[in-house]
Amino acid sequence: MTNSCEVRINDDEQFDIVKCYQQFLKDDPDVSMSIAAIESLAELIKHSNATTLSEFMESLKDASQKLKSSVKNSISLSAGADLFLRFVTRTSHDVTNFEACKEHLMNSGKVLVQKAAAVREKIAELGVQFIKDDAVILIHSYSRVVMLLLQKAAAYKKRFKVYVTESRPSYLGIRATKLLCEAGIPATVIYDSVVGYIIDKVDAVFVGAEGVVENGGLINAIGTYQLAIVAKAANKPFYAVIESYKFVRLFPLNQYDLPTHTSDLLAFPDLENRESVPQQEENIDVGDYESINPTVDYTPPDYITLLCTDLGVLTPSGVSDELIKLYL
Amino acid sequence: MEPNPDSTAPMRASYEQQWLLDDGTPKHLDPLANRPRRLSDVGKETITNNSVPTTKNKRFSGGTNHATTSNNSTPAKKSMKEMTKAERRELQERQRAAKAVKTTKTANNVVTPSKKPVQGGSVANLEGGGGGGGATSETLVTPIAHSESGVTVKNIDPKPKDNSKQVALFSHLEIPKGANTSTAPKEIHPSVLVLGLHFSEFKICGANARCIATLTALQKVIQDYKTPEGTTLSRHLPTHLSPQISYLVNARPMSVGMGNAIRHLKWEISTIDIEMSDEEAKHLLCEKIDNFIRDRITVADRVIVEYGLQKIQDGDVILTYARSSIVQALLIDAHAKGKKFNVIIVDSRPRLEGKKLLKRLVDEGIKCTYTFLHALGFALKDVSKVFLGAHAFMSNGALYSRVGTAMVAMMAKEKNIPVIVCCETYKFTDKVQLDSFVMNEQGNPDELVNISTTMILKPGYLDEWLNKPDLKLLNLLYDLTPSKYITLVITEVGMIPCTSVPVVLREYKPMLQ
Repeated sequence: MTNSCEVRINDDEQFDIVKCYQQFLKDDPDVSMSIAAIESLAELIKHSNATTLSEFMESLKDASQKLKSSVKNSISLSAGADLFLRFVTRTSHDVTNFEACKEHLMNSGKVLVQKAAAVREKIAELGVQFIKDDAVILIHSYSRVVMLLLQKAAAYKKRFKVYVTESRPSYLGIRATKLLCEAGIPATVIYDSVVGYIIDKVDAVFVGAEGVVENGGLINAIGTYQLAIVAKAANKPFYAVIESYKFVRLFPLNQYDLPTHTSDLLAFPDLENRESVPQQEENIDVGDYESINPTVDYTPPDYITLLCTDLGVLTPSGVSDELIKLYL
Repeated sequence: MEPNPDSTAPMRASYEQQWLLDDGTPKHLDPLANRPRRLSDVGKETITNNSVPTTKNKRFSGGTNHATTSNNSTPAKKSMKEMTKAERRELQERQRAAKAVKTTKTANNVVTPSKKPVQGGSVANLEGGGGGGGATSETLVTPIAHSESGVTVKNIDPKPKDNSKQVALFSHLEIPKGANTSTAPKEIHPSVLVLGLHFSEFKICGANARCIATLTALQKVIQDYKTPEGTTLSRHLPTHLSPQISYLVNARPMSVGMGNAIRHLKWEISTIDIEMSDEEAKHLLCEKIDNFIRDRITVADRVIVEYGLQKIQDGDVILTYARSSIVQALLIDAHAKGKKFNVIIVDSRPRLEGKKLLKRLVDEGIKCTYTFLHALGFALKDVSKVFLGAHAFMSNGALYSRVGTAMVAMMAKEKNIPVIVCCETYKFTDKVQLDSFVMNEQGNPDELVNISTTMILKPGYLDEWLNKPDLKLLNLLYDLTPSKYITLVITEVGMIPCTSVPVVLREYKPMLQ
């Protein structure tokens, strides 16, 4: 974001992939980061003046790298970018004529985007069966596909109530609650810390995700992991609802093995220096804690009951099967 | 011959011996009538025995065992004739043995003069009840042979000795006979003969090393092979290779990886064009073998190391068990790349393989701690990751590796420490295994006795184990780690959960062939 001007000057005169990506996100609030990445890479093909296939591939790789480094949390984005690159490497072998190949890729990029739009519908259709009549659902933060699922369930005349976590620091839970109430679904915002209190009243937990890693674990807005732990402890089913283009070839071992984890995250304050600054007893400055708090966490597959994807309802280990097939 | 009575009717036999035997033949036993209960328990698990003191009891138990079986089963009739001959031989030997015992008294601590008459009596008894006792000549001969061999080693095949000392639960596992070059068939290639010796003496061990050595040896076999008249290479070469392979298997049971490699080789042979000339085909096959070693082992190892590096961060404390060539390569590479980490090597008797790893790592300047398996709980305190090697991966995601691995993995999982296994995909098998009992390998039990390498134990505490009827030694080589204890498998096709083993097998099969 910050260096988009530089990028334009140094590397690519006509086309700036990062700007293009942001434009796509702005134009359509419903589009996910993965799809925006795919779209902007497909757009790059249009503007590419590479003459050989390898040069072309290089430029694509560079662009996706640039995209990834342009945002703070690149998990969802890189899932889309990797998928598209994978798609290009696979299909580009088939075509001999380079121009035709480019044309083909551009078109298929568009097809991919169209497909992606239809995917949520399919997932919602599949996921509705997990909502029983008179159920109490707990959701975390705001996920487009979860919202669609709930709306669909309401459209099927299922009666259910939804607790929505406030989900600090994004407060997206409030937005989700508003939308649900608009759709005629009774919804209540709860503090993130209320999850344990409420869990016994809940019948099922639904979350979306930014990414699904190789072992079937989730990377999602902070708080998902503890929600999953609480659900597991209370023996409540924990469903993840995900578009399959968010599957990402990543295998975190724990929270600190995520690409989003940096050493300054949750660092302790340097108290020795602070002592020199006089402070009032009442109002001790704890520093800028919001900036050093993580925004995503990793939920290991052991806590996930099922993943509801457009490929079908999968167990966590099924994700790896699909990824292996894809990256064969 | 042993496994059958063993697995089918041990319980019944013991029951019979405990309650029925005394009625039927009380007089033979009476001098030591009380003791045998226990001993016969030992004896009937495997009918043969070797130790002097118990010989008579066991002999009885063995004899009666057979007596009961032959009573029950009709086919014993035919062997009767044979038996009498065997019996005669046996009697001779027995008398000789008795004499030897009497004169030399070397039957040491256990044989007391008072027992000798009993032994004689037992001979007589067996003689008398020959028909019943002689169901199988071998079982009866061997005890004597061993009562003798307890004193001076005789020319009898040592294998039955091991059998009687096998732990019942593992009696289905053959203790390898070892490579015997003198009895090897003529067609065995010298390089295979050498390799067999290396295998049986554990001069070459480790799944990768063994697989590469086998393939290279088979390469030499192929190079020296000449297709006989009237047949084709693709038809005849496999039949030429099978005795070589079975010779190697006799030396030491084949590893899963070796099995996969050989299967691949046979498949390559079968696809060779009949029209192709001998020279060309041999050249092609050697090239294919080289490719297999390169693609599936050496290059795969390098890729795995690359992946593994991503999982080693500064400040890590890495625990590893015994020695795996790939883990060793990974740690050395990570150190060379400037990563700062400590290593804890957990080792166990009797092989002490971790020492070799320790030496390599210390030579490289990596900070190491060396400890034994029993200190694992303590060692795990600061560990951030566990890296393990593999012998094989089962289709249900279970890891088959050096014995002790399961313990390490379970303990680490208990403490929420990620367990990472490095394994090439050629070690994946479509077999499923649920425990360490069904398939395993037994090492030489004498390894447990020999503690000479470092620790000084009471000398000779286990030395006499062959003469102690109640003592059996079990030297298992492998164990099985259930999939739930494994966090991650690093293979050359990427980092996968262990539940994806069958997927890799399924998806990559067409590509690899």
